[in-house]
Amino acid sequence: MKKVVELTKIFLKNSFADMNMKMGISSTKSKIVSNLIYAILLVYFAGIILFLSYNIIDGLKIIHQETTFIGMILFMVLGISVIQTIFSSINILYFTKDNEYLLPLPLKPYQIILARTNVMLIAEYVIIFLIGLIPLILYGILTGAGVLFYITMVLAVILMPILPILLISILVMLIMSFARLTKNKNKFQLIASLILIVIIIGVSLSTSNMKDDMSNEEMAQMVVQANGMIELVKGYFPTLDYLVEALTSNSITTAIIEILKTVGITILGFIIYMAIAQKIYFKGLVGNLFGGGAKKSNKKINQKEYTDGKLYKSYIGKEFKILIRNPVFLMQCLLPAILIPILMIVMVFIGINSEEAGMDQLIQELNNMQTNSFIIICIILGVLQFFTMFIYISITAISRDGENAVFIKYIPVPLYKQFIYKIMPNIIMNIVTIIITLGVAQYILHLPIITLILLFVVATIIGILQSILMLIVDLKRPKLNWDSEYAVVKQNFNLVFPVLLSMINIAIIIVLAIWLGNTNVYIGLIIFGILFGVLTLIANRYLKKNQYNLVEKII
Amino acid sequence: MIEIKNVSKSYIKGKKSVDSLTLDIKNGEIFGFLGPNGAGKTTTIRMITGILNMDEGDILIDGKSIKQNPLEAKKNFGFVPDSPDMFLKLKGIEYLTFMADVYDIPKDKRKEKIEELTKKFEIYNELNNEIQSYSHGMRQKIVICGALLSEPKNWILDEPMTGLDPKSSFDLKEMMREHAKAGKTVFFSTHVLEVAEKLCDRVGIINKGKLVFVGTFDEMKQKFKEEASLEKLFLEITEKSENN
Repeated sequence: MKKVVELTKIFLKNSFADMNMKMGISSTKSKIVSNLIYAILLVYFAGIILFLSYNIIDGLKIIHQETTFIGMILFMVLGISVIQTIFSSINILYFTKDNEYLLPLPLKPYQIILARTNVMLIAEYVIIFLIGLIPLILYGILTGAGVLFYITMVLAVILMPILPILLISILVMLIMSFARLTKNKNKFQLIASLILIVIIIGVSLSTSNMKDDMSNEEMAQMVVQANGMIELVKGYFPTLDYLVEALTSNSITTAIIEILKTVGITILGFIIYMAIAQKIYFKGLVGNLFGGGAKKSNKKINQKEYTDGKLYKSYIGKEFKILIRNPVFLMQCLLPAILIPILMIVMVFIGINSEEAGMDQLIQELNNMQTNSFIIICIILGVLQFFTMFIYISITAISRDGENAVFIKYIPVPLYKQFIYKIMPNIIMNIVTIIITLGVAQYILHLPIITLILLFVVATIIGILQSILMLIVDLKRPKLNWDSEYAVVKQNFNLVFPVLLSMINIAIIIVLAIWLGNTNVYIGLIIFGILFGVLTLIANRYLKKNQYNLVEKII
Repeated sequence: MIEIKNVSKSYIKGKKSVDSLTLDIKNGEIFGFLGPNGAGKTTTIRMITGILNMDEGDILIDGKSIKQNPLEAKKNFGFVPDSPDMFLKLKGIEYLTFMADVYDIPKDKRKEKIEELTKKFEIYNELNNEIQSYSHGMRQKIVICGALLSEPKNWILDEPMTGLDPKSSFDLKEMMREHAKAGKTVFFSTHVLEVAEKLCDRVGIINKGKLVFVGTFDEMKQKFKEEASLEKLFLEITEKSENN
């Protein structure tokens, strides 16, 4: 057990050592600064969570459905565990560089598996405590809950993510056990991740379809009955049901029984997980590390491949190729630009077709508002800020190259030019998101064409500003020594900056929306364009003027 | 020609990693840069190539200062870094055409040069595969090909023989000799003393940031008045400098 603890510590240190900010000042100062920023962010997010929770609980109380809040939170914890694990498990279990050094060490398979599982779990607890514990504590305070509630609440938040992690990891191991049979490792990694997403989405969709079978009478009964709506979140996952029951029940015996049931099923899941993992994990790991390698081609070189290209095309093309061919970068940096707005479209269309979701009323409400109103334009711009903050191309532009990042310093191409080439994929993907989002907005709101064009221009300018600023952040704080690509896109403090910037942009948009009030849409958009245009010019000037100083950390 | 003029660099205040280094690598010369681990070899190479700024002094590459005129200076050399794990997701041919675009090599010439170099290093048939699928030695070869594509007058190679098979190592050494014979410059660092002994016109030994010897192998022997191997002389020089 001691070895498991030690291994866990080493894995965690490896993964999160660079999460501290390096500000070019002494390490103690840098630690203080980084802790301060974490504290500010924590307070900021906790504030948002508390604000939202308070309003939801208050709203639910009016219709006597407050316990639904517990279900919602646990459901969210479950959802986040599932989404996080999909992305993290395959990387933590198989794609970390230290796997190659671990295999020859005198460690028992179960010790490595347990330590890896611990890393996954600890990484999840960080976020789950924030979005799980804070709202539930508030719920406890607002409903005057007793000690039993708080004890059960802590146990529930601790227990909830374990089983999903174990189940998804089993799925990952089963898929990865085919790794040694495949010849093209890269494509397999990507396909494995996509299969996993499809399976999980499929399972959740089929569960929600089962819910759709519910008759209107049953639905009405649920809403009318006090706290009946809690039934809505049940039936998705076994431990979710038990924990919801434990937290909503007034009887100590029921709570204890439900917690024991959860512990029991989790232990059972753990035994199955360990049995399967010990059998197949190492086969998959070895297959992934040494099996086949990338597919070899004997194809002769086409004369076209010698093409005398323009440097900008060649450079931007290189950036895109690296992003697309690396499954982790593709999933985390590039795809969100397409997936997030598409998910939105799906949601909107499901909403339009679903009577219960109330989406059709919302759209009607929006249509009833003056479609050319400045507020609607501000909402669209704000939504775009939210979508584009998940595009991690610029913020990882330097870090993705790892130790090879010094390349930009010894080739005879001006640094500023290279910076522009490096942010181009971010700008292009930003534009993709903008087009998809504006397309949906146009479908729903039928905006005048000039408004649409102006919106596109303003959103693109904000996208350019975001791309430049995020590159500056990555240049100032590059993460060049990583153990897996996953570390660049997940275990990287820099990733808070796109969120921070989007929040600032949203704040600017809100302030301007309030300040300009019912102004003419065109004038409003032109003011936005000028404001963000000037900011972009300033950021660009800074980038150009400081090009040599900015690369000092790249050695 | 590479001129290193009184160059110093400190990572930690008060502790110089490279201390007042002055060195000329003349045209037509193969120069081996030797030294124990942490002596300052890589720091020096990083300063020559513009990766690292120097605190004092200047470095000229064919008369162009890497400090004042970095772009022009960079056009005058081809650099092979110590780690060949570059752009692993690109195919060999994609990497080389990208390098050709970086160095502005015209289409007909790039085709000829890519074929010549990759056939010499026996990786021509691998060009359509991702560099990730290459062995360490093959990765080293493709990086060397990329650096030599523009026919730079000055070659700067950091541990170029590491991972190369005997045939490729022999070919590279031959190419270095031909390059120097044509009146151009080769500057390389190595740990393999035999290579330096057999290949270099002159060697420089650096220890604790200071250049402790520079000259031919014969001059080294004369200085120490003994018929010893380079290995023994190297150890003697570095130990002596430690004691000083």
